Amino acid sequence: MKKLFALVLAAMMALSMLSFAAAEEEGKVLNIYAWNEEFKGFFEKYYAVPEGITVNWIITPSDNGGYQQKLDEALLNQEAASADEKVDMFLAEADYIQKYVDADATQDIAALGVTDFSNAYEYTVKAASTADGVVKGVSFQCCPSALIYRRSIAKDVLGTDDPAEVQAALNSWEKFEAVAADAKAKGYYMTASFAETYRVFSNNCTSAWVDAEGNLQFDPQIEAWIAQTEKFIDNGYTLTAGIWDDEKNVQMFADGKTMCFFGPAWYFNFCMGNAQDPEKGCSGDWAITEGPAAHFWGGTWLLAPAGTDNPTIVGDIMNTFINNEEVCTKLVSAEAQFSNNKAVNAKFAENPDYGSAFLGGQNDVAVFSAMTDNIKWENHTIYDQLLNEGLQNNLQEYFKKNVDKDTAMSNFYKFVNETYPAIVTP
Amino acid sequence: MKKRRGVSYSKWGYIFILPFFISYILFSLIPQITTFYNAFFENYRNGLSQVGPNYVGFGNFIKLFTPAKNGSIDILRYFGNTMILWLLGAVPQVLVALLLAVFFTSFRLNLKGQQFFKTVIYMPNLIMASAFSMLFFTLFSPVGPVNQLLMSSGMLEKSFDFLGMMIPVRLLISLMNFLMWFGNTTILLMAGIQGIDQSMFEAAQIDGANSLQTFFRVTLPLLAPILVYTIITAMIGGLQMFDVPQVLTNGKGTPDRTSMTIVMYLNNYLQTSKNYGMAGAISVVLFIISAILSLVVYHTLSKPYKK
Repeated sequence: MKKLFALVLAAMMALSMLSFAAAEEEGKVLNIYAWNEEFKGFFEKYYAVPEGITVNWIITPSDNGGYQQKLDEALLNQEAASADEKVDMFLAEADYIQKYVDADATQDIAALGVTDFSNAYEYTVKAASTADGVVKGVSFQCCPSALIYRRSIAKDVLGTDDPAEVQAALNSWEKFEAVAADAKAKGYYMTASFAETYRVFSNNCTSAWVDAEGNLQFDPQIEAWIAQTEKFIDNGYTLTAGIWDDEKNVQMFADGKTMCFFGPAWYFNFCMGNAQDPEKGCSGDWAITEGPAAHFWGGTWLLAPAGTDNPTIVGDIMNTFINNEEVCTKLVSAEAQFSNNKAVNAKFAENPDYGSAFLGGQNDVAVFSAMTDNIKWENHTIYDQLLNEGLQNNLQEYFKKNVDKDTAMSNFYKFVNETYPAIVTP
Repeated sequence: MKKRRGVSYSKWGYIFILPFFISYILFSLIPQITTFYNAFFENYRNGLSQVGPNYVGFGNFIKLFTPAKNGSIDILRYFGNTMILWLLGAVPQVLVALLLAVFFTSFRLNLKGQQFFKTVIYMPNLIMASAFSMLFFTLFSPVGPVNQLLMSSGMLEKSFDFLGMMIPVRLLISLMNFLMWFGNTTILLMAGIQGIDQSMFEAAQIDGANSLQTFFRVTLPLLAPILVYTIITAMIGGLQMFDVPQVLTNGKGTPDRTSMTIVMYLNNYLQTSKNYGMAGAISVVLFIISAILSLVVYHTLSKPYKK
């Protein structure tokens, strides 16, 4: 009897020790929230997931703020969620990263062992930092945005397709407009979307969308974009499609009539599928240059929510995508990305043999590298994504001549009032 | 001693209807009451932080009915849009359904292959409204197949912006609603006509009434209760119109918010800011409008036949 008792006791102790050990171990399920498949592809190719860990991708498209809604629900429910249901890592874009960096829902990644940002570009770190300098995320890409032009059309319009000469012809808005007139005279469009140049202006704003009292305000750069677009529409220099519309994308086929697009490295694979089409496309007939003004567009940051049960692996993923030389090299060479690792990018930029076939052999990494110094991270708010989208959507109707300007603006204010009750509109 | 009464079976009746009332209270009545309650609070999310709930009395309703700078009151405009979109679809829907129901039930015509036709006209209702709407969005986009067809056949020179103009957008929405619902209405009206005593039609024929006279003097009056029911349910559905215009215009109610329905307006408040106060107030207004319209329709349509 005593023996049995001792046995049971021993078994119980062993069991409790086992469960104690299990509590020390990290979760087996890694939940990653994202708004598209882009990073998922890189992750699956270049990150070796430790054995026994299941990775769940929760992907919600970001149209109309859908992704933020889904993510917010999950983050606000983080404490109550069971270990396997918690958000372990999520992706955020430049337009709304501030909202998550400022919130308690994200954590200092120094605690996860991510402390070396010596190779990362400064603005990518600043974007993910709180006002007190606590870093809460990393970006696996750097997104200086270039003017992407069709070589054959540039030859016809400017008489050259050499990036340096094209840059000289397009390095200010006055010149850009003058060339647009020439392009029109030869039967081309300068841009295919009314909002094509939006980021070039909006990234150079000297004030934020909303002031300290919560009033909506228009920066002179935004006003300049509206004025320029009015002129472009009236003169027929651009199409009235939205930046993501099919109507714009068909212009990237070989028979397209549009000379200029604007975009960072991710744009090639993510948006220029038509240009890369083996039959109808025109791969090799493209080149990039800085264009009228320095700017960046988008970029994907990886953030760590507070309360993840997989801190080690999350820290490891972040380190891999900014500091692992091999992975960053592959991002550039195999995926046409511009990595967030200065040392790796410098190697490509200095290599005379490196060139992108899509860009007719041009060394895009060298061009992007030269542009990184001019990128500023300033004047962002937690509302940027939907304000940028809302302004474009409502003004599109004005540019299509469906409504007058006052109506379009008042519709934009209605949109703001419905979407963000805290913002005061004029 | 108490007098013994007969056995009462009524408790079984109550037990049988109990499940409906329990689910009605849980899933309809309680949410409805909380919606009314929410309408009196300021309660929304700003970024990841919550504002409220703070009691504001009728503040949300005042905001809803405050005219904009150009003097129009938004919610009334969207109510107007909703009614126009509904009427454009519902009038042909009821007329066509009535005609089809009479054909299908007519002994004189005795149509062959009725099952086939009934299935086919009901079919669009089985497709999810959002999928149906997405299909139309793709078909009628500026680079979509309809435009390509019209251009390659030489009928158009430049692509026509169907989704950027008021009349085409409204007609497309109504067409979709019509296609989705006329089959359903036909089946309901057929059931109504089949419920009418056949001897009535025979009597009318013997008395020398032609088909038109039979339809207006016999079928229609006897069908009135079902017809009124059909119209009221269609109207309540129509007032809550959401998925078709939401998907077709990508939630924007383009152009110039002329295809924005009341529920889309409500959804705008709810989507990003989780503004339960304003959304609750819109729901209350919608509820009151639906109730009034239903009463009006019920009384005007059923009165002539009540003796």
